[in-house]
Amino acid sequence: MFDYQFLIEVLVGGLLSGVMYSLVAIGFVVIYKTSGVLNFAQGAMLLFAALTFVSLVERGVAFPLALLATLAIMVALGVGVERAVLRPLVNQPPITLFMATLGLSYVIEGAAQLLWGTQVHGLDIGISDVPLDIAGVFISQFDLFAAAVAGSLVTLFALFFRITRTGLSFRAVADDPFAALAVGLRLQRVWAIVWTVAGIVAFVAGLLWGARLGVQFSLSLVVLKALPVLVLGGFDSIAGAIVGGLLIGAIEKLAEVYVGPLVGGGIEAWAAYVVALAFLLVRPSGLFGQKLVERA
Amino acid sequence: MDTIASTSHRTGPVAESILVGVAAVIAFGVIPLAGSDYLMDAVLTPFLALALAAVGLNVLTGYAGQVSLGSAAFFAVGAYAAYNLHLRVPELPLLLDLVLAGFVAAAIGIVFGLPSLRLRGFYPAVSTLAAQFFVQWALTKFGWFSNDNPSGVIDAPALSFAGYSFTSAAGRYLFSLAVVTVATILTLRLLQSQTGRNFIAVRDHEIAAKVIGVPLLQTKLLAFGVSSFLIGVAGVLWAFAYLRTVEPAGFNLDRSFQILFIIIIGGLASLRGAFLGAAFIVVFPLMLSRLGAALLGGVFDSGVLEMSQRIVIGALIIAFLITEPRGLIALWDRFRAAIGRRTGRPRQDISYN
Amino acid sequence: MIAASAGVLPLDGGLVEPALSAPLSTHADVADRAFVKRGSGEIQPVLALADISLSFGGVAALRDIDLEVAQGEIRAVIGPNGAGKSSLLNVISGLYRPDRGRVRLGEHSFAHVPTARLAQHGVVRTFQNLAVFKGLSVRDNVLMGLAHRVRAGFLRQIAGTPLARRIDTENRAAAEDVIGFLHLREVRDRAAGTLPYGLLKRVELARALVARPSLLLLDEPFAGVSLGEKRELAAHVRNARDLYGATIVLIEHDIGVVMGLSDRVAVLDYGRKIADGTPDQVRSDQAVVDAYLGVAHADETELAL
Repeated sequence: MFDYQFLIEVLVGGLLSGVMYSLVAIGFVVIYKTSGVLNFAQGAMLLFAALTFVSLVERGVAFPLALLATLAIMVALGVGVERAVLRPLVNQPPITLFMATLGLSYVIEGAAQLLWGTQVHGLDIGISDVPLDIAGVFISQFDLFAAAVAGSLVTLFALFFRITRTGLSFRAVADDPFAALAVGLRLQRVWAIVWTVAGIVAFVAGLLWGARLGVQFSLSLVVLKALPVLVLGGFDSIAGAIVGGLLIGAIEKLAEVYVGPLVGGGIEAWAAYVVALAFLLVRPSGLFGQKLVERA
Repeated sequence: MDTIASTSHRTGPVAESILVGVAAVIAFGVIPLAGSDYLMDAVLTPFLALALAAVGLNVLTGYAGQVSLGSAAFFAVGAYAAYNLHLRVPELPLLLDLVLAGFVAAAIGIVFGLPSLRLRGFYPAVSTLAAQFFVQWALTKFGWFSNDNPSGVIDAPALSFAGYSFTSAAGRYLFSLAVVTVATILTLRLLQSQTGRNFIAVRDHEIAAKVIGVPLLQTKLLAFGVSSFLIGVAGVLWAFAYLRTVEPAGFNLDRSFQILFIIIIGGLASLRGAFLGAAFIVVFPLMLSRLGAALLGGVFDSGVLEMSQRIVIGALIIAFLITEPRGLIALWDRFRAAIGRRTGRPRQDISYN
Repeated sequence: MIAASAGVLPLDGGLVEPALSAPLSTHADVADRAFVKRGSGEIQPVLALADISLSFGGVAALRDIDLEVAQGEIRAVIGPNGAGKSSLLNVISGLYRPDRGRVRLGEHSFAHVPTARLAQHGVVRTFQNLAVFKGLSVRDNVLMGLAHRVRAGFLRQIAGTPLARRIDTENRAAAEDVIGFLHLREVRDRAAGTLPYGLLKRVELARALVARPSLLLLDEPFAGVSLGEKRELAAHVRNARDLYGATIVLIEHDIGVVMGLSDRVAVLDYGRKIADGTPDQVRSDQAVVDAYLGVAHADETELAL
């Protein structure tokens, strides 16, 4: 007899951890949308933010103060990256920029650990992880909280992009950087802001992931979880990042529970990639990505 | 980007062949006799294996323009394939194991290269990442690959060829040197042929290449195949000549990045750059640890070393991409041109690069 | 093919024997060209578009286009930006699949032209935004124009078998020939990426001509080059027809150059063909004047060829 309740539990667990993937993927999308850069350093930024925050708190800095300080540092990082890496590489092919972000991720990871050490830090953000029993299905409270945070962040972004002047200028830059330049939008300022925003997203994701896994080096590897999400959802769609994250989360858990035992387990390391790539063969621009028109 | 033909063109065929001759005498004759075991064991043999892997990745990334983040997977496939061939078909000579292992790696490479036919841009990077995770998982998960070692560790057999065994440091170095030399020469010939031009054409303007009649499917898959073949052979050298005991964890994502960084630092689309970059990657940590210990003493422990290494390598990548995308090899060529001017020998300008 | 160095080519215009390239051509290739020449009395068009329509997401880019191109003529397609010229070229070269209609190349008729086999059908094209291979030398760029003729597999190329070497020698000779023809000798070893725009236009033309195409499609060949370079390029285009025997279709919005260079001109506006005829006919066509010439008269005086 197939256990449907268990299936639902696995599915819900998968969807909720998928929210965490979405959160990381959104950081990518924000940057990709406006500058065409696939920022491999997003994971390193996440690690850096979480590590900075935890270390400040451990050194006796008050919680809100540490929060503000970390935010300030992420802003400085965003502006610094624009100055030191993006500006000199403007108009270079996307592949060059991608490789530059690989280098950037090494620098940030190295700096984070040189600064704050390599040991694992526990991070308690005050949310208990006691499962809730909802109609016989057990759901982690922490996951629900994470989902709520991700949800409000996404709503915030949507409003920001649609309503504020800066947000509109982001969309202009995303649509056509040259035209945006022509009408006097300052690309450099927009990029600096975008990287700052991505840094803040990384911080939020870092807090949630750090609270779950402990703040340590492997935190930067969540970048690898986000890539299949982007492939599935499209590199330039926030909605895609969310739906893609949910799907990948669910697929991963389902595969792990139902397919894993058949091949000896541990398949969550690559199952998402295989699914995403297979999907791509059917729909090359992803679920929500803009259709690529082949220009001669 | 550097085209190979430029080398001889710039310096003149005579000067170039003298240089190559001298290098060959030193590499094959002087070093095995006069070099220390440490030099050959810990520096030159890993240098050769990494250089060959970088040559392979350069075919794919530098020449054909497909970024790969999964080099370590093909490195591992080569090593484990050769191990199993030796174990299960003991009649085969080791050299044949090496070549067949290359073909196994090529086959896996072609499979993971398939998505790049439909998709451009970052997708090859993602599909090669999939290779990275899948291969590492499979090698750990299935005991068959490591003859049922619980953690997937394999002990490589002693190197032998035509009745001679190459177990000493000098022997393993010479074996590697011979393999790398032959493989590099063959790669050079391929890149100078129409196939090599096709690679660059696909990289520089895929649609134009298609219109001209370059078979895109065949060209891209060939790039994946040749690249993985070379990286696979390099993996055999890494496992059999250098480490001799390897585990799947040694072929992790960091190794893939290391090989990618070699070609970025050394110079994309330059085989000489692959060697220069590999030399840098091997020597740099040794230098850094000496320097750190001398300057900071006890504070400079292995953790600090590793982190500062990451920072410097990462910063170098960015610096090279910004200031000299053609890498160390461009600096080297400029340096040689300057020497040439000072000694009064007329030289072509380095514009063709 | 090798023998046909520019110096010894007969100067009798468009009637250069296309079969010159026979030794290197595939069978289909030879058959194609032979067929084009045959047809007693009536000349088979090299290219014929019938009833081509194409739309992108509901917006019509091309509507019911008919176009015939005769052997040996220089045929221009002009029109304002957005008139559908580029779409037309992309349909002919198979980058776009038309919603309706057929494209006839020689004796073959296609609903969707197979881009990958274009070169084998003797058709080559250039691109508006330059599609040279920046990492290759000028000579290697030109050699790329013969890529479809290298039938030796990569292992043979590595080993340098007699077949591979023979093909290589033949191709190099053909490349040298075109390099001389287009005055690119001094820069043939330079990487294309280091050359100025005007020169790259010539490199792209050389890459197109090296295969001795029966049909040459030029995508805005005069865009972005100086007046002097325009004059020079126009001469090269005419020579390409006169000496290499290529039939030429060029799309352009610079009317001045086109009127002097072309045998027949078709005019597109909003995806429709509004006129087709000799330059004089088109010039005096009221619809054309209304749609296009009126606004572009300045261009016309720019270059009197």
